[in-house]
This record gives sequence, C-alpha cells and structure tokens, in this order.
Amino acid sequence: MAKTRSDSPEEMVQKLLAGDRRAAARTITLMENQSEKNNQVMKLVYPHAGKSMVIGLTGSGGSGKSSLINHLIRRYRDQGKRVGVVAVDPSSPFSGGALLGDRIRFQAHSMDDGVYIRSMGSRGYLGGLARSTSDVVRIMEAMGNDVVIVETLGAGQDEVDIIHVAQTCVLVLTPNMGDDIQAMKAGIMEIADIIVLNKADLDGAILCLRSLEATIQFAISQREDGWVSPLISTVASAAKTEDLQGINELMKTIRDHQEYLHESRAIDEVQAKRIEQELGLVFKDEVQKFIFKGLKGTGKKRQYIKAIFEGRTDPYSVVEEVLSTFLKVGAKVNETSGSKKHI
Amino acid sequence: MNRDKIKVIVSKVGLDGHDRGAKVVATLLKEAGMEVVYLGMYQTPEGVIRAAIDEDADVIGLSYLSGEHLVYTPKIVNEMKKSGLNDVLLVVGGSFPPEDVPVMKEMGVDEVFRGGSLTKSIVDYIKKNAREKG
Amino acid sequence: MSQGQAIKKNIEGACDVNWDDYLKSYYEKPQSAKTWSGYEVQELYTPDDLAHKDYKREIGDAGDYPFTRGLHRNMFRGRYWTRREVVGIGSPADTHERAAFCFEQGGTGLNTIADVTYEMGLDADHPWAKTEVGLTGVNITSVKDMETLVGDIPLDKVSWSLITASTAAAATMAQYVVVAQQKKYDISCLRGSIQNDPIHFRYCGFRPACPLDLSVKLGADVMEYCTRNMPKFYYTTVNMYDLREQGINAHQEVAYGFGIAMCYIDELLRRGLHIDDFAPRFTFYVSCHVDFFEEIAKIRAARRMWAKLLKEKYGAKDPRSMQFRFAVHTAGCSLVPQQPLNNIVRIAYEALAAVLSGVQSLHCCSYDEPMCLPTEKGHLQALRTQQILAYETGVTNVADPLGGSYFIESLTDKIEEEALRCMKEVEDLGGMEEAIRSEWLDRKFETEAVKRQKEVDGGDKLIVGVNIFDSEPETKTPLGVQRITEQSAKQQISEVQELKRTRNVGRLREAIDRLRDDASSRKNTIPAMIEATKVFATTAELLGTVREVMGYPYDPMQVIESPFK
Repeated sequence: MAKTRSDSPEEMVQKLLAGDRRAAARTITLMENQSEKNNQVMKLVYPHAGKSMVIGLTGSGGSGKSSLINHLIRRYRDQGKRVGVVAVDPSSPFSGGALLGDRIRFQAHSMDDGVYIRSMGSRGYLGGLARSTSDVVRIMEAMGNDVVIVETLGAGQDEVDIIHVAQTCVLVLTPNMGDDIQAMKAGIMEIADIIVLNKADLDGAILCLRSLEATIQFAISQREDGWVSPLISTVASAAKTEDLQGINELMKTIRDHQEYLHESRAIDEVQAKRIEQELGLVFKDEVQKFIFKGLKGTGKKRQYIKAIFEGRTDPYSVVEEVLSTFLKVGAKVNETSGSKKHI
Repeated sequence: MNRDKIKVIVSKVGLDGHDRGAKVVATLLKEAGMEVVYLGMYQTPEGVIRAAIDEDADVIGLSYLSGEHLVYTPKIVNEMKKSGLNDVLLVVGGSFPPEDVPVMKEMGVDEVFRGGSLTKSIVDYIKKNAREKG
Repeated sequence: MSQGQAIKKNIEGACDVNWDDYLKSYYEKPQSAKTWSGYEVQELYTPDDLAHKDYKREIGDAGDYPFTRGLHRNMFRGRYWTRREVVGIGSPADTHERAAFCFEQGGTGLNTIADVTYEMGLDADHPWAKTEVGLTGVNITSVKDMETLVGDIPLDKVSWSLITASTAAAATMAQYVVVAQQKKYDISCLRGSIQNDPIHFRYCGFRPACPLDLSVKLGADVMEYCTRNMPKFYYTTVNMYDLREQGINAHQEVAYGFGIAMCYIDELLRRGLHIDDFAPRFTFYVSCHVDFFEEIAKIRAARRMWAKLLKEKYGAKDPRSMQFRFAVHTAGCSLVPQQPLNNIVRIAYEALAAVLSGVQSLHCCSYDEPMCLPTEKGHLQALRTQQILAYETGVTNVADPLGGSYFIESLTDKIEEEALRCMKEVEDLGGMEEAIRSEWLDRKFETEAVKRQKEVDGGDKLIVGVNIFDSEPETKTPLGVQRITEQSAKQQISEVQELKRTRNVGRLREAIDRLRDDASSRKNTIPAMIEATKVFATTAELLGTVREVMGYPYDPMQVIESPFK
C-alpha cells in the first residue's frame, strides 16, 4: 500500500484540532479501520470533545432523513453554528460493500467550511459500528462542531446502541411504511425524544398520524423522565417554501428538548449514560482484542472451536475458562507493576 | 476481516441528467465490496473534491454523458492538485469519442471507461490501482 | 477468452487455425430462447396458438378498433411516416443552420431539442448555465432566440416538433406562439408538436424543474391551451422512450408510459374538458430497442391497449380519441462506442421494426451518439437509413405486414398481458402519482438498470463488440467528432445580458404581475406567458414566477432570487 499515513497521533490530532479537514478525515479512517493507533489518538481527542449538541436521526431507508438533515444543516448554519454529520449505513451482509451518503450533499453547502459530512459503513471488525461511531462523534466534537448529527437506519440493536450517543433522538417515519412501523416501535419508539412523520403530503398520512399517536401514548407511558415526545409532520423532499413549516417546528422542538434537558439537569444523566455506554463499548472491544491477542499463536482458539463442534464443551464454558485464566493474570499484573508489557 | 475497504466517490458534475450509469456503477462497486459515496447530480468540481477530502476517499469516479467532460475534467484535476489529493485515483466513465481518451489522460485522469465497459474491468482496475498512486 | 475472441485470434494467424474452436463455432447455437425482456418463447408457433382468437374483436383490420394493426387502412400508401432528425446544437443560429441542412437532404419533419439549461428553466446567463449553454441542444432564453431558431422556416407548412419536455415546455409554447403571431401566421393552423411531458422528466435528471404538482399544472396548461386555440397541434408527446432508456423492459415501458399519460388525462377532465375534445391530439414517443419482434409486438399491444383504455375507462366515442399515435426514437441505450459502425446496423434494424409496426414519425439515432453529439455526417447517415427503408425495401406497401403471424400475435398478447399486470400493480399502489411521489418508480428504475448491466456482465445479453467478438478499442471516431465551440455560448450569453439591460422594465413588471395573478387564481398560465414573452420576459422569469406561486423557490438551482420582488 503506497498511501502513506505516517503522521504520529500527536501530529494528527494537533492538525485536526487546528481545522485541517484532511487530517480529520484520516483520523476518522483510523477509527473505522480499528488501527493500532486508535486508542492513542482517542486519548488525545477526548479532552477536547463533549461540548457539542448531539442529535440522532434514525429511520428506515427512503424515509427522507437526508433531506431533513439538509434542512437542519441550513438552519444551524444560518445561526452561525458549525455542523458535523455522521451518516451511518451498515454494509450489505453479502458483499460487505456499502452505498453511502446518497443525496446528503446538496450543492448548497457542499463548499461550506462550517459543514463536515462523513459517511460510514460497517467495516466488520470486532468492535462493531457502535464503537467506531462513538469515536467518530467524539472526533467531530473535538473538531469544534457546535452540532453533531448522527444518521442511522434504526434497525437492530447495534443501531439502538449508536443512537445512545445522541442527546436528542429524532425518529423519522413515513406514512407508506405500513406494518414496518408496528415492527419498529418495539425498540426505538421508547428512546425517541421527537417523532417525525416525514412526507406528510403522501396519501395515508392522516391515518398514519392517528395510529402513531396511539403508539406514542403507549411509549410515553413507559418513559421515566417525564418528557412527552412530540409528533411532528414534515415534507422534507418537496422543497416547497410552505413545507418548511414542519422543519421550523422540528428545529423548535429540538431546541425545546435541549432546554428541557438543561433545565431539568437531565442532561447530566444523558451524558453519564453516554459515557457509561462508551466505557462499555471500549471495555468489550479492548477486552476481546486483548484476549484474542493472547490466544493468538497458541492454537487454542482452534482447539476450542473443535471441542465445541464435537460437542465436548460449549461456548459458555470456554469463555468462563478463558476469562478466569486471563483475568487472574491481568489482576496480578495490575497488582505488581501496572504495566501491560508483562502479559 | 474487511479492514481498509476501498472508498469511492461517485458523482456527476454540472447539469447533465443522465445518471443511470453512475447509479448502476455505484451499486455494482458496492456489491464488489467497496464503500461507495454516491453524490448524485448537480455537483461542482469543488464540491466533489471537498467530499473526497472529508470522506478520505481512495477513488473519485465521475460520469459524463453530455459532452461536458472536457469542460469539467481540467477543473477537477486542478482542484485535486490544489488540495493535495495526488494519491487519489481519478476514474472517468461515460460517452466520449475515443479521441478524447488520451486528452483526458493527459489532463490527469488515471483511467477512462467508455460506454459498454464491463463491470469486472472497472472493479479489477480499481482494486489493482487504488492506493497505489502518489 | 470468449469464443469470439478465440476465433478471431486464430483467424489472424490463418495458418494455425484451431479447428476444434472452429467446430465449436460451427455448431454453436443461441444461448437463450428468451426475448430481450425475458419472455420465454416457443420453438414454433402454429395455428393452435391463435385458435381461440376472435379476429374482428381482438385484432381487427388496420384502421378499425382496437387498432392493433395500425391507425389507417392504407397506412404508408396514404403517406410515408415523417422522417425526422433531432437537432439541437450550440446557439439558436447554429441549430437553425443544421435544421436547414436536414431539410435540404430530404428530411420531412423538424425536431429541435432543448439543452440541459433550457430544460432546467435557466436563462443562458444563469451561473450554472454559462458553462453548458448549447452543449446538448439549444437554449431559448427570450423570444429573440426563438426568432433566430425559426428564421425563414414556414411554420404553416413544416411539421415542427419542439422537444422541450420539462415544465419549460410552457415557456417554449409561449415563445413559439409569439413568433408565429409576429410572422402573421394564424396559430389555429400551426401543425407540429411539443413534447411537454414534465412528469416523466424528473427521471431524466430534471427533478428540480419538475416537481409533480407543477408538472401536472404546467403540462395541462399547455394541453388545454392548444386544445382550445391550436386544434392541429399535438400538445404532448408522452415520453415512454425516456422511461425505457432507464433500463426497464418492453411491457414496463408501456405500463408506466400509460400511467403518466393518465395523470394528464385525469387533470384535463378535472378542468372540464371532454375526453373527445382533446384525446385525438394525444401522442407518444416510443422506443424501438434491438429485439426486433418484441418491439413490433410491443407497439401493436400498446395500440390495442390504448384503444381499449380510452373507450372503456374514459368513455371516448370518437375513434380518433382511441388511436395510439406515436413517434419512434431508436434506442440510444442499445448503441455502444465499441466498433461504432455496427451502430448503423442496429439503428437500421430498429427503424425497420418501427416501420413494420406502423410508425407515424421516426427519429433514427446517429451512429456516433455513444461518443459525441451527432455530427452532420452522422445525421445524414441516420436520415439515409430512413430513406432506404422508405424508397428501396418495399416494406411500405402493405399495412401491418406481420399481422396474423402466429408468433407476432401471440407475443402481442403476451406483452399486453404483462403490461396490464404492471398497470394493475401501479393502480394498487394508489395510482401513478402515488407511485411517483413515494419514489416507488425510482426504485423500480434503479433495480431494473442494475439487472440489465448484470445481464451484460454475465453474458446473458450479448452485445457484439462488448461481451462477444470484441476487439482492440478504437482510437478514432470514423466520421469525425462534433465539437461545440464556446464562441456560440458566449455570444448568446452576452445577447441575453444586453436584452435584460435594454428592455422596458415597467411593461415587463406588469406582464409578470398578471402572470403571477393568473397562476395564483389557478387560471391557465399560457395566455399570460404569451403576453409576458412579447415584452421580453425570459424563460427563467416565466417559470420562476409560477414556481413561486406554487410554493417552490424561484430558481430550481436555488442560486438566484426573483428580480421582481
């Protein structure tokens, strides 16, 4: 590979903090590739992160999230805020490729220095998408973006995890989703702070609105924090001036939710939860990496798989056994020198 | 493990509305295991380069069908130079006279795929040459 | 190495022919017995395949309902088809010159095509237009450009087809009428047609110019205006061809094309017109792709389906309302730049299919289209292809010469059946407007296009020079390359700027105010556009004013603001 990316973590972070877009882009690639430098970089990034408003937008493909985000970018830019967007689109499981970022970049802000858009596909490594998204959002924060928008498809637990990085979670639905809405409400409805019925000019929008209201009532009754998730109708795709009312309302509701978070001090809890999740993700990822690294070259992983395959044991017993060995060694190291080199 | 996937920007530039080819190629590159950021129509040369920077792309793929390739290609190449994207592969596809293929290569395009190109030839070329430049 | 390559290689070194390959080639048979659209066909068709058919009711003679066999009993004995070539190149003056050339060479119809800037509704001096004016057609910014384009061409004699498909067709209509009136023509005598199918044009990259409600509104304004004032003018050419070029198959072309046509018909009926007032001037643009019999069957099926649709669904009484009038455009997407002269042969087969299916008006592609805009030589070759068909081959003597063929009739039935199934699918979604709004149709086009490419990649669809019998890439275009000089564009842009500086702003504002009022009160906008055009309102000003009333940004590209605020 001729592409040289030889900057040290310190140099990279210094450059991205100074607003070098290319350095930022390459740092994000490191996160996606789960490079060796990853932790070193994140340690340097972390102190500069955490000051942004993070909004999650989740909804199935074709629900018009990209158009909505376009409108939001424009509004926040009008307010003079810098905006970062992380568009997450997991890979197709068959080929591993991904078609990303369709239609987010309308020419209106394609050259705006205050906008940074990055598309991410799952690169299939151990930590999964949730970990890398969490890291990338931190990088976007450190870059000095006042607002960071995370876009996801909202399918599966992995994506519910992703959306936990957001302080305000917006769920985007469309009238023509039909039964999908019923299927979706289980996981995501509960964590949505705002629900948007996009393309409200489509036939069936009224019916959909009514059925949603009932569903929301139920979801709200499950919430402990007392926030009542509003339902907003938008037409993001049509580009009509009159359709912008819905967007205005969405902007206002996001502000309302942020105000609510700050006034009720619920923001502290949201941030704490995010850190808890971050910690969990990094733990899971690093412990797994640490253990697999330890097993590497010993032939043990293969032996375990063989044993499980032949019915002599099961994954649970194996993990228990491995953990007890490794954690004992790990604990000993910590007691003695605190250096990982001895492991 | 699929580390370091090739990332490709696929875009059209200007007003030309023939986007079927660009979309098909984007989809097929994706199916070949690449990460494709499809920018669609009405992009400016500057906008394409900005996206290539922010996305840390390995390849820029442009599609022209209305004779605008000689207008926009020099602008794209110039913007790439200005932004230091000398390690990014520039691939062009669409309708052009064969006479213009060497002209575009002279301008700085790495490879040109005319209509009728089979997907395999495009995929093979990108897999072989992405990240080998610069 | 494909078999084609192997043979070629061996023939080059004639002394060491691989005779095993030769034998393989000698006994080679077609890989597939499917049509281009994927229908399985039998080895042989016999009278049994038609045994159940009621000839009079289901097929009928040419000239009789349901018009399966053609619109006229005598077909080409009454009149040849109109031999058209699409012209649009550089400035209005350049385009006029090329049009005149086509007439000199025996062309009988004139098609002038708008460039991307005009279709988007941009004036030549728009920031996005400056680099692209005249590159792919002609831009008409003001009535002056239309005057130049028309020149001395006799509008009452020539059948002029104005190819502006987008919402800009409303501006084209106004500009054309103004020039005709200035030249003292009675507009009720004008012949020819305007494409005016803005709904479909969103799929050709002009979505910003063609939002659905605006497309229906302005499209129907032109149709209604012509119905009331220009009874000899064909006010729309619903463009099934462009849909086909997206990669869909034969029956989808018919089904989706009819779906869009019905959007306009429904709107005209809502406006209080009777179906027989306007349907006789409804026309279509159809593709002729490379699968010979399939295309003939497709057109025959379309004719029968349209007749039934108009009679049964819309209650038309006038037989002319039930006639599926169509022009054919040979399939641009069937042409490839590899071994380009082969395109001449493809175009000829496609044109033959069009003629055998009873075409009213034909445009043959130029062989050089996959490489550049048509050269003069390319245009001429395309026109000559039509002339050879008309004057040498004898295919014009008999109406629907393939009618009654066991195979053709069966294939016609098959396509009708598939197309009806497709139309039902759209109906179940809530109709074509719904299929468009929900982007169902976009997804359809996208998946079909990928499927087509995979068929070529996998060798299921063979294209000579591409995936079989390929050879070293050419380094030269055989008959030269068409180039557009920047000079034409610069000239036009400076003329537009000059016009905008010197016109009477007071009168212009009054005219724009009237247009805004008419649009606000849902009146037909064409009369006000005509008045505004007379005082030099430009294309972007006419369209932008109506766009704003409909709630859209003045400029589709959202760069400039209305100068009338």
